Amino acid sequence: MILRKVIRLLVVLGVVTFLSYVMLNLLPGDPTVQILGMSATEEAREQLRQEMGLNSPLFVRYADWLGGVVTGDLGTSYITDIPVLEALVDRLPVTLELLVVAQVISLALAVPLAVAAARRAGGAIDQALTTLSFGMLSTPVFVLGVVLILVFAVHLRMLPATGWTPISVDPYWNFLSVLLPSITLAVGQLAVYSRLLRTDLIATLQEDYITLARARGLSPRRILWRHALRPSAISLITAIGLNLGGLIGGAVIIETLFGLPGIGRLIVDSIFARDYLTVQGGVVLISVGYVLVNFAVDLVYAAVDPRIRRA
Amino acid sequence: MPRRLGWTFWLSAGWIGLLLLAAIFADLLPLPRYDETLAGAPQSGPSPAHPFGTDGLGRDMLSRVVYGARVSLGVGIGAVLLGLVIGAPFGLIAGYRRRAADAVIMAVNDIALAFPALVFALAVVAFAGAGLSNVLIVLGVLGVPAWTRLIRGATMAFAEREFVVAARALGARDSRILLREIVPNVALPASSYAFIGMAVAVVAEGGLAFLGLSVQAPTPTWGGLINEGRGIMETAPHIVLAPSFVMFLTVLSFNLVGDRLRALTDVRQSGLEPARPSAATPLPTGEHEVAGTLLQVADVRTHFETPRGTVRAVDGVSFTLERGRTLAVVGESGSGKSMLIRTILGLLPGAGAVSGGQVYLEGREIGDLAPAEKREILGTRFATVFQDPMTALNPVRTIGTQVMEPLRVHLGMDRKRARQEAVRLLASVGIPEPAQVLRRYPHQLSGGMRQRVTIAMALSCDPDVLFADEPTTALDVTIQDQVLRLIHRAREERDLAMILVSHDLAVVSQWADEVIVMYAGKVVERGPAAALFERTRMPYTEALLQAIPRLDDPSHHRLRVIEGRPPDPARLPPGCRFQPRCPYAGERCETEEPPLVRAETPDHLYACWFPVGTGAGIVEGTESRGR
Repeated sequence: MILRKVIRLLVVLGVVTFLSYVMLNLLPGDPTVQILGMSATEEAREQLRQEMGLNSPLFVRYADWLGGVVTGDLGTSYITDIPVLEALVDRLPVTLELLVVAQVISLALAVPLAVAAARRAGGAIDQALTTLSFGMLSTPVFVLGVVLILVFAVHLRMLPATGWTPISVDPYWNFLSVLLPSITLAVGQLAVYSRLLRTDLIATLQEDYITLARARGLSPRRILWRHALRPSAISLITAIGLNLGGLIGGAVIIETLFGLPGIGRLIVDSIFARDYLTVQGGVVLISVGYVLVNFAVDLVYAAVDPRIRRA
Repeated sequence: MPRRLGWTFWLSAGWIGLLLLAAIFADLLPLPRYDETLAGAPQSGPSPAHPFGTDGLGRDMLSRVVYGARVSLGVGIGAVLLGLVIGAPFGLIAGYRRRAADAVIMAVNDIALAFPALVFALAVVAFAGAGLSNVLIVLGVLGVPAWTRLIRGATMAFAEREFVVAARALGARDSRILLREIVPNVALPASSYAFIGMAVAVVAEGGLAFLGLSVQAPTPTWGGLINEGRGIMETAPHIVLAPSFVMFLTVLSFNLVGDRLRALTDVRQSGLEPARPSAATPLPTGEHEVAGTLLQVADVRTHFETPRGTVRAVDGVSFTLERGRTLAVVGESGSGKSMLIRTILGLLPGAGAVSGGQVYLEGREIGDLAPAEKREILGTRFATVFQDPMTALNPVRTIGTQVMEPLRVHLGMDRKRARQEAVRLLASVGIPEPAQVLRRYPHQLSGGMRQRVTIAMALSCDPDVLFADEPTTALDVTIQDQVLRLIHRAREERDLAMILVSHDLAVVSQWADEVIVMYAGKVVERGPAAALFERTRMPYTEALLQAIPRLDDPSHHRLRVIEGRPPDPARLPPGCRFQPRCPYAGERCETEEPPLVRAETPDHLYACWFPVGTGAGIVEGTESRGR
């Protein structure tokens, strides 16, 4: 079971990296132009291509690159001369903090909201949550981010609009600088999570064991939190894993908007600079992260639902 | 019955329509051109001449937003159509020919989900050139997996339906079935998703534009406008707010239209409690005396308001029950037996239920009690066992947690005492190695063991009334008798009153003191078990009795069944509810509903204009089953 899962995830990793490698290499654009500039002679370009191995067949180049990846060598950027791995590791803590804080905020709000809504489906709280979540789902991150900056940074001057303070420098300022970006990122997730959990809770509340728990005279609060929540959490946990791709997309925009030196910003900058190797490294990092998170999600399933442990 | 789309749908659709028209006919509108500088003073706020104000170069913001809609709507609609055109055929084939396609779809899905789509979109657009067609193609292609998944799911749901299976069996050509039967049915979910997909595409285009990777200046795009306005947010916030607001409204409208379309196929949902507790006025209760017996149920009713009309699930049931007695409630499925139990316990599903009548425990009405008091009675005086032990226990909590919970909540035991008591309870219902079983999960136990656990839980707080709703129906025949004996023993030891819901008349005749026969929500016959079985009055009861197969039937004997089907609860026949299926029905039965009247035996009541004579022929039947 676990072995099969590992193999499947490894295959996914292989295909994703191969596809992205091929696509990035097939796209128009000549790296030699980026390195040597427009005025370089064709001979100089050709020599550089030889040095960089750009003339070997695509598959050979991919195999070379993959061999490097496995040994922890993602290559060195032609543009900045910084090893790709180093650049990524340097930027990773910012993005990780952003993602984790955003997840914590959205889950901390989504779970109680969903429980309150499911208690009286169709009631006032439920309808308010439905309306609110449509609003939240329909607000693009850059719109929300701009509005939040306008309100909290420009008008109220409570929080910094842009910039980043590492946690090692000043934990308090670090918290302030991560707050607005992570709220921006959390809002869309909050809507998705609360809707998902609400729907599953309502389905669980129709089960016999819930009716029997009520027949045993247990309080609605106890029934919702102790009896209904855990059997209803599977879709939510799945969504947390699967949404990581979407979150990274959001992080790219948010890091640009709030001026955070994270992976997303690095990828955007590398794309503009035609820094293929760094972009490719970013893709690898994101896919590895996705695979690891989803592997963890599988382990969490078993903790949440004992029936899965047996399988 | 068609559901309404609601005003949110029409308002949203109206906004999309308006925006679409404005975008198409932007050149004809009385607006300055989007690139006309100094159409007004730079960075001036909203005014009659420039409703959205002007930007840093004095260009009219309204005009720029309207022209920006061309890009946003163009990409939104175009990308969705592209995704649909590529994805739908894959999805149809995959859903219709499941086996081969499933594995491939799953694999592609895995990869699509692990693929950082936006990063890919950025890279392609950046390298291939930022422009309308590239953005459209990239976003369209990225939407293909989602479309394939959606169409496949919808197709699968319909490919199993009777009409499609029938058409296949009749030898219709696959292409014909797909076009005639499946495509029309998949159209609704697809159109719903189309609008949601447009919302996604508009947001994605906005994100690319915000990063400067969509259609290039001077053509305005919403994302681009927001990015431009960012720098002068402090002095001229309207420049960033105008496109933000329009974009929000547009995405919201697409989402709402999609959601309303999807909701057309939704089923009604209910939560733990009714949505609006005070909204429903209780149904009127007939006059009655409060008897002061252990349990008295007076004129209890439960009606459901459904789109098809009022369903009278329980329609005026009364009885009293003394300690140590067993009352059986019998009737076909759908006669309201289980709903009667849920009404008495106050456990109605929330959606659209209205109930009435009173339930008294030792002369005290329990309907009016505060929730906490009601829970106290539910926990300590009443106990419930349901039909299916597979669904009666919470799958994710251990047996121990579940058995100990009422002990700790209602009897205030600490963990250690509750555990000892739980072990004792499980042992008392015949569970071997109870201490080990406490650590197990429900799925690790057999059905019979699980039902023993639910009985142990029911008995844990020393109740006075046990409600047993078909407690053995879902069990193996060999286990049924053991469980019944267990319940019976507990009843005798504790002098419990029991309400036993069953459709098994053999069980009822063996265990019950009194019997209530229900048909379409009403009591049609009621009385002491012996009188009711031996001097049956109501033709429905007679039919139930005759439908029991007997051991002394000749082999290959035809099973006796009750002709016809139970009535549609939303469209009950006039007069007697059993009349359309009754062999003795006369004219009066079609017009007047028979009241419950007294038979010659005390406490024996029936509702029939033409009661079955003296029950000749049925007496031997019941007797031969060993009463």
